[in-house]
Amino acid sequence: MTTLTTLSEAALTGASDAAGEPTWLRDRRLAAYKRTLDLAWPDSRVDEFWRSTPFAQRIDVERDIVTTGGSDSPASFTADLDLEVATARIVDGALVEVTVPSALVAQGVVVTDLSTAAAEHADLVEPALGSLTSSDTEGTGAGADRTITVNDAAWTAGVFIHVPAEVEVDAPIVMQIHAATGGAHLPRVLAVLGHHARASLYLEHTSEPDTDALVDEVVEVTAHDAAILDVVSFQRWGDHVDHLALQKVQAHRDSQVRHLSVTVGGRTVRLLPETDLVGPGAETRPLGLYFADDGQWFDLQPYVRHLAPRATSNVLFKGALQGRSRTVFRGNVFVHKDAVGTDTDENNRSLILTEGARADATPFLEIECSDIVAGHGSATGQIDALQLYYLTSRGITRDEALRLIVTGFFREVFADVDLPGVEDAAMSEIDARVAAADLASFQINDASLKDHHDE
Amino acid sequence: MADLEIRGLTVEADGTEILRGVDLDLNQGQTIALMGPNGSGKSTLAYAIAGHPAYEVTGGTMTWKGTELNELTPDERARLGVFLAMQYPVEVPGVSLTNFLRTAVNAVREEDVPVREFMQSLRAEMAELDVDDSFLQRSVNEGFSGGEKKRFEILQAALLRPQLAVLDETDSGLDVDALKTVAQGVNRLSGPDLGVLIITHYTRILRYITPDEVHVMFEGRIVASGGPELADELEAGGYEGIRAAHAAGV
Repeated sequence: MTTLTTLSEAALTGASDAAGEPTWLRDRRLAAYKRTLDLAWPDSRVDEFWRSTPFAQRIDVERDIVTTGGSDSPASFTADLDLEVATARIVDGALVEVTVPSALVAQGVVVTDLSTAAAEHADLVEPALGSLTSSDTEGTGAGADRTITVNDAAWTAGVFIHVPAEVEVDAPIVMQIHAATGGAHLPRVLAVLGHHARASLYLEHTSEPDTDALVDEVVEVTAHDAAILDVVSFQRWGDHVDHLALQKVQAHRDSQVRHLSVTVGGRTVRLLPETDLVGPGAETRPLGLYFADDGQWFDLQPYVRHLAPRATSNVLFKGALQGRSRTVFRGNVFVHKDAVGTDTDENNRSLILTEGARADATPFLEIECSDIVAGHGSATGQIDALQLYYLTSRGITRDEALRLIVTGFFREVFADVDLPGVEDAAMSEIDARVAAADLASFQINDASLKDHHDE
Repeated sequence: MADLEIRGLTVEADGTEILRGVDLDLNQGQTIALMGPNGSGKSTLAYAIAGHPAYEVTGGTMTWKGTELNELTPDERARLGVFLAMQYPVEVPGVSLTNFLRTAVNAVREEDVPVREFMQSLRAEMAELDVDDSFLQRSVNEGFSGGEKKRFEILQAALLRPQLAVLDETDSGLDVDALKTVAQGVNRLSGPDLGVLIITHYTRILRYITPDEVHVMFEGRIVASGGPELADELEAGGYEGIRAAHAAGV
C-alpha cells in the first residue's frame, strides 16, 4: 500500500493509467510528485502558516491512501428539501455516484469524474486544474506546501463541475465526501463557472464515528466575469478525523463569490478558504461559523487577495468553544498596489463558553495601495450576564436563555445568506451541540452588570 | 396582608447600601406611583423586586402573595406573575423578537401556545401599540430607538399578562405621542388582576395614568406618601421641598 510518504512514480503512473487519464494529467501528477520530493512536511515551529496548528503532534501522514470506495454514506441535508439537486458522492477515496437532473444536462451543466473530464473536457480542465495551487501570485501566500502538493500528485477521487456561461442553476450542486475506512483520503474538486453563470456548490464532509483518517482536500473554483458563486463547506466529521483543506476561488471581473464554512466535527480542521480577486469589481464574502468541543482544534485561515481595482471583500467568522478546545482565526487580506478602490473588512468573534477553551485571533491586513477602505477587528468574550438576566426576567429558564443567546450569536453570519437549507442545517448542528453541553458550567461575564446600576 | 408586601428592605449594589429600609404595600387592581429624585433608589427597588443579579438584598422581606421573592430566580418570579419594564432594555443579538416572545409566553403560561394563536395575539398587541410588522424579524431590542424599546417592553407585558407590573422610568426618552401610546397600553392592561408600580422622576406620565397612591423615595427610604395630589405638589414644587424637609430632619 502507498502512504503519503511512500508515493512513487510507478504507483502514480499506474493509478493514472488505470483511471484512463490523458498523458498531460499523468505528467502533471508526476511533476507535482517531484515537487513533493523537494518539500518537507510543515514544521509548525518555523512555518508562519503552520504556527497555528502543531503539525507533528496532530497530523499523521504515515497512513495508507484509501481508494477502495464504498456504498454507504449519510443522507445529504438537502434530501429533505424539495429540490432537484445534482449530486456527486465520494466514499472512501472513490467517486461512487453522480446524479445530474436532466434539465441541467440539457443546459450543458457537467458534473462528472475528474479523470474522465480530463480526457473529455480537456479544453476546460487542463488550464484550470492546479492553476490555483501552483500559481505564483504576489502577496504573502503560503507558498509551496507539501500537504497541498501531495494532493496535486495523488488525488484519488475527483469531481469536475462546469456551469456554462449564462446558465443559472437554482438548486445546489452537492458533493458528499464520506470517510468510513481509516487512512489518508485525497479528494479533489475542480469547478468552472462561465461568465454570468450562477451556482451553489455544497461540500458535505462526514465520517463514521470511529473512522481514524486524514483528509487532505483541494477545491479549486474559477468564477468567470459576472458569475455568482456560493461555496458551502460543512465539516461534520467524527472525533478522529483530521482535515486539511484548501478551498480556493479565482474571482474574475464583477463576479460575486461567497464562501460559507460550518465547522463542528473533526479532531483537527485546518481550513483555508481563499479568494483571489483578479478582476475589477469582483466581490467575496468569506463567512464561517464553528463550534469547538473538548479535544477539537480548528485553524481557520480565510485569505483574500485584492489583485484588481474596486473589488470588495467582507470576512466574518464566528465561533463558540467549550471544553479543552482550541480555535485559531488567522485571517489575511492582501491589497496589491494596483488594487485601487478596494473595500475590505475582516472580523472574527469568539464566544468562550467554558473554562479551558482558548481562541486566538490574528486578523492581518497587508496593504500596498493607499486608495482603499479597510477595516478589521476581533473580539473574544463570554456570555453576557445582562442579556441572560433580561431573558430570564421574562420567565425563560436559564438553560433556555443560554441556548437562545448562543444560537443568536451565530445568526449574524446568515444575515444575507438565503441558500436553501443551509441556515437550518447549520443551526441544527449548533443546537445539537448546545443541547448536549453542560450549561451549568458556562462562564458568564458580569462586567455589563457593573455599568448598569445608576441609582 | 397585601399582595406585594415589602418590609424593611435593604439592598446593596457593588458594596454600597442603596435601599435603607423600604416598606411598601401593593395589591392587584391598584396602581401606585413611586417618585423621587435621581439616585434616590427607585430603580434599585424595581430591580430588587425582579431579581437583578447586580442588586443584593441584605435585609428585610419582599413577598408576593406570601411567597418570599428573594428566594426565587428571575425566571421563577416572572412565572409567578412579576414583570419589570426596564429603564434600559437589553439588546440580545440574533434572537428574533418572535422567537423570544413565544419562548417567554410558553414559559410563563407553562404550556405550548399554538403558533397560530400566538401570532394572532402578537399581531393584535402590536397593532394596539403601533409597532410595525417588520419588528417580528428583528433581534430583541437591537437597533431599536429609545421609544421603540419602551413600546416593546409594554408589548411584552401585554403578552405575558403579569399580575404585578413594575414600570421603571418607562416614560423617560419618550416624546408626547409615544408617551400617550405607552400610557394607553398600560391602561389597557389595568384591571382587577393587575397591580402596577410606576417608577418615575417626572409627573407627566401621571397625566395619562392616574395612580391610587403616590410615594416619594429619598436616600433609600420612602419619605412621603399620599394620593394623586402628592404628584401635583411635586409638579409645582419639585423635589426641593422634600430634600429640605429631609435635611431638617422632619
